[in-house]
Amino acid sequence: MPFLRTLAFNLFTWTLVLLIAFPLIWMIITSVKPQTELFRIPPTWWPETITFEHYKRLLYETPFLIYFRNSVVLATTTTMFVVTLATLGAYSLVRFKYRGRDTLALLVLFTYLLPSVVLIIPLYLMMVAIGLSNTLLSLILAHTTFALPYALWLLRSFMEGIPEDLESAALVDGATRMGAFRDIILPQLLPGIISTALFTFILSWNEYLYALVLVNSDSVAPLTTGVMSMLISAFNIEWSLLMAASVMMSVPLIIVFAFLQSYLTSGFGAGGVKG
Amino acid sequence: MSATAPSSPLLERRYARLGVLLIAPTIMVFSLVIVYPLLAAIYLSLFSIYTPTLDGEFVGFANYMELLTGKAFWNSLYVTLVWTMGTLTLQILAGVGMALLLHQNLWFRSLARSLVLFPYFLSTVVAILVWRWLFNDLYGAMNHGLMQLGILDMPIDWLGSMPNAMIGIILVGTWKYFPFVVIAVLARLQTIPEHLYEAAKIDGAGPVARFWDVTLPQLRSVLVVIILLRAIWDFKEFDLIFLLTGGGPVTSTQTLSLLVYQEAFGLNQMGQAAAYSVGMMLVMLAFMLIYIRKTAREI
Repeated sequence: MPFLRTLAFNLFTWTLVLLIAFPLIWMIITSVKPQTELFRIPPTWWPETITFEHYKRLLYETPFLIYFRNSVVLATTTTMFVVTLATLGAYSLVRFKYRGRDTLALLVLFTYLLPSVVLIIPLYLMMVAIGLSNTLLSLILAHTTFALPYALWLLRSFMEGIPEDLESAALVDGATRMGAFRDIILPQLLPGIISTALFTFILSWNEYLYALVLVNSDSVAPLTTGVMSMLISAFNIEWSLLMAASVMMSVPLIIVFAFLQSYLTSGFGAGGVKG
Repeated sequence: MSATAPSSPLLERRYARLGVLLIAPTIMVFSLVIVYPLLAAIYLSLFSIYTPTLDGEFVGFANYMELLTGKAFWNSLYVTLVWTMGTLTLQILAGVGMALLLHQNLWFRSLARSLVLFPYFLSTVVAILVWRWLFNDLYGAMNHGLMQLGILDMPIDWLGSMPNAMIGIILVGTWKYFPFVVIAVLARLQTIPEHLYEAAKIDGAGPVARFWDVTLPQLRSVLVVIILLRAIWDFKEFDLIFLLTGGGPVTSTQTLSLLVYQEAFGLNQMGQAAAYSVGMMLVMLAFMLIYIRKTAREI
C-alpha cells in the first residue's frame, strides 16, 4: 500500500511541522482577537470576531513606530559598516600573504565564540567615559563586537569558494589588485555579501542585551527593549497588543523569508558548520 | 593560498603591504571594541566597583576568592550545565529527526522547511512574548490545550516553580534553536552519495540499518561541529533565559550569563561581575579551543 504509507508519512510530518509552527500561528490569532474574547476560559482556538484595533492602537498610541525607526537605523547602519569592513578584511585574509595573517584568522574565530557578558561591563564603562551612553551610535559600536567577527568568518568562507585563476588572468593582463577585486571578485562574491548582510541585519535587529544595558530612553530604544518595556510597564498586560507588536516586529523577517530564503540557507553552509 | 605567484620580490612586498592596508580598519575596530574591553574586563576584575558612582578600589584577587569560596558561581555553573546539557540533547535529537523527515518526499516540502526554520531567525523577544502568553497560568493555550487533550488535570505554574521553570526554558530553547541543527544536517544529507544506500539495500539492510550504517557515519563529522558550536552558544545564552524567567524562581535558573548581569547591574558590584565573567570564559575556553583547533586544521 504505497499510497497509504505516503499519506501516513505526510500526516505525521505535517502534524509535527504545525506543532512547531503553532506558537507563531497563535501569535497571529491572538493579535486579531478582541480584548473581551482574549480572557475566555477555555480559549477560543479560532477567533469569533477578527479585529485590527490592536494594530491601530500600537501604531497611534504607543511609541512603537519610534522603536521601529530606531531598529531600522541601527540594523542598517551596523550592517553597512560591518559588511564593508568585513569584505575588505576577508579579501585580505584569503588572498594576501603577510606575517600574522593566520593568527588574525584564529583571533576572529575566537571572538566569534566570545560571550557578550564578558565585554558588556567594559563597553558600558567606555560608552559612559566618552559620553556616548544612551545613543544609537553606542549600540552600533556594541553590535560590531558580535557582527564583525561573524561577517568576517562568513565572507572568508565565501571568498575561499571563488576560484583564483580568473583573478590571476586579470593580473597577467595588467589589472591592479584593487581593479581585479572590483571587476572579478566583487561580482562573484555578491551572493555571499547579500547572505552575510541578511544575517548581520537579523542579528542586529534581534539583539537584546546591549540595548538593555546601553540605552534607557524611549527615543533611542530599539524594538527589542522597547517592546519588552511595554510588557513590564503595563499594569494590566495587554497580550493582544504585545502579539500585534510581535507580528509587526517580525515583518522584515517574513519578507526575507518569502523572497531571499536561499541566501539564508547558503550562509549556513559557509558559516562554520562545514564539517 | 594567495592568488597569484608574484613575479618579483618587489611586487610581493607591495601586495603584502596592500593586504595589511585592507585588514587595518578591521584590526582597529577589533582592538577598540573587542580586544581592549576583553583586557579591561580582566583588569576590572581586580577592583571593587560600585556601579552607580563607578567608584573603585584595588582589591587584588579578592573577587576571585569570592568566586571560588562563595556559592553563587558554582550554583550558576551547575544551572548552566543542566540547561546546556538538557537543551543541547533535545536540539540534536529533534534536529536530526526533523532533518530526516524533511529530506524525504513531503507534500509542500519547501513550505514545511520554511515553517520549521522560522523560529531560529525570530527575535528572542518575540519568541519569549509568545511563549509567556502560551505558558500563562490562567489563560494560556498550553495548559488548556493539554487539559483538553486529557494530559493534564490541573493548570500548571510553568515558569514560577521548579523544576517546571527549568523544563520551560529547556523546551523553549529547543524550539528556538533546533532549526540550526535541521539546516546543517539537511545540507549534509543532500551530499550523501545515493550509491551508498543502493549498496546497503543490495546487502539487505532495512531502513533502520541503513540509518545506522550509512547515514549516521556520514553525519558524524558535521554533528561534532554542530554539537561544539551549539554547546558554546547555549552555554552563554542570555536573552532567552533572562526574558523567560529572569533567573528565577530565586536563582534556580540563573545561568552564568545572568549571574554576571545581575551582579553588575542588579547588585551594582561591577568588579565582582567582571571576575565572574572571566571565570565563565575560562570554563568555556576548553570548548572554544577544541572548536578552533578543529577548524584551524582547515585553514
